[in-house]
Amino acid sequence: MWPFDAIDWVMLLVPFAYITVLVGSLFVFLGIYRRRKAVKAASLEPWFPPHLQRNVYLSLLHMENPKVPDSILKAALLRRATEDIHRIVQIRNAKQALQVLLQRGSVGDDLWQRFQRAEKEIEEELRDVVTEANAFAPNWGQTIFQSASEMAQNTHIRDRLTEILATAPSEKEWWEKRKATIQSDFMKELDDEKSPRREGHVAKGSDDDAVIVEAGGPADKAGKGKKKKGKH
Amino acid sequence: MESPDTFTLLPIQMDPASKAISATGPSSNALTTELKALNALHKSLLGVDTPTGTPPPPVPVNPKRSAQIGKLRESGNASFRKGDHVNAIRMYTLAIEMALGRPGWEPSGLVREEVSGLLSNRAQANMAQQNWGEGAVDAEASVEMQKGNNAKAWWRRGRCLVEMGRIDEAESWVKQALEVQSTEQDLLSLREEIEKRKAGK
Repeated sequence: MWPFDAIDWVMLLVPFAYITVLVGSLFVFLGIYRRRKAVKAASLEPWFPPHLQRNVYLSLLHMENPKVPDSILKAALLRRATEDIHRIVQIRNAKQALQVLLQRGSVGDDLWQRFQRAEKEIEEELRDVVTEANAFAPNWGQTIFQSASEMAQNTHIRDRLTEILATAPSEKEWWEKRKATIQSDFMKELDDEKSPRREGHVAKGSDDDAVIVEAGGPADKAGKGKKKKGKH
Repeated sequence: MESPDTFTLLPIQMDPASKAISATGPSSNALTTELKALNALHKSLLGVDTPTGTPPPPVPVNPKRSAQIGKLRESGNASFRKGDHVNAIRMYTLAIEMALGRPGWEPSGLVREEVSGLLSNRAQANMAQQNWGEGAVDAEASVEMQKGNNAKAWWRRGRCLVEMGRIDEAESWVKQALEVQSTEQDLLSLREEIEKRKAGK
């Protein structure tokens, strides 16, 4: 046949071999480049510390002898979901700020990569928790995060409250001490006013004066305090 | 965090009788705390009466506890009206404990509301006995639970601080209060009083 006879196959092979080698090496380098990038991304420090609750849950799930009852697994899953809520909140809060900083060039690309990885991980994690929850009870997946978020809130409330109420004893003590000083100062002032100045003891008298001057401030306040209390 | 398909196997074990989870061998502080929280949650989960043993969704609240809290508050109020302040404080304290004892998955907004009201009442009972220190702390806690729509608690802490002679603190407190509740008459008059006392000093 005419066109095929005219072709020198060996000579034609050369450009084809050239193209093959070129494309082949391109793909090899692309592969290496991607792998390196992945390794680099993986070697970046993770955004969050190890997920303790998740580890506890999975450790319990894999416990064979004796098998852990479902009720404990449910509790562990709920703990895990609560920790996830904390993480989501952190991610959401950080995202805006980080975007702005990245646009301004204030933070490096590494940080952004770490953040994106954390975001992807938490998405996975949520999906995983929902699946697990649905395996325990139908439709629990729809409410588990509601419950978990309330739990996170409730823990927060109780912590704050304990913190504030823990100051009550010291406040009480402070006020009682203060009340005692005010009262004694007040009484002293009254006594000083009543008792006539002893004559002949000039040095002593000046000493008394010093005491009165010193006591003037708080005693003055005490007088006011007394008035207020009378009103109540 | 580990990649999605791996996890760290932790050295934990279960007591077969009590079903309590504990760490084997030496363990980190975080793990011990976590396991304690887990066991506590497990116990409260066992008390749930849903057929699946999972916590119910937050919204329909178990009315039993709300009723008990309401009853304790009423008896506290009754004691307060009779002038039995010590008993009133006892009742309010019980009610606060009851409200804080709600299981974690019940709505936190409800807890805030209940506890804030109860603390505000307890502050009042404390003030009636001239326990300004405790009153101030209770009112502060009440405000922390609910900032808006809680003018009474704002005023009570301000009053307590004035009574204790901590005028500067009272001034900044009332200023904060007026940022939230700018039209409250009691707070405005308290501010005037503070200003007068500062000027007179």
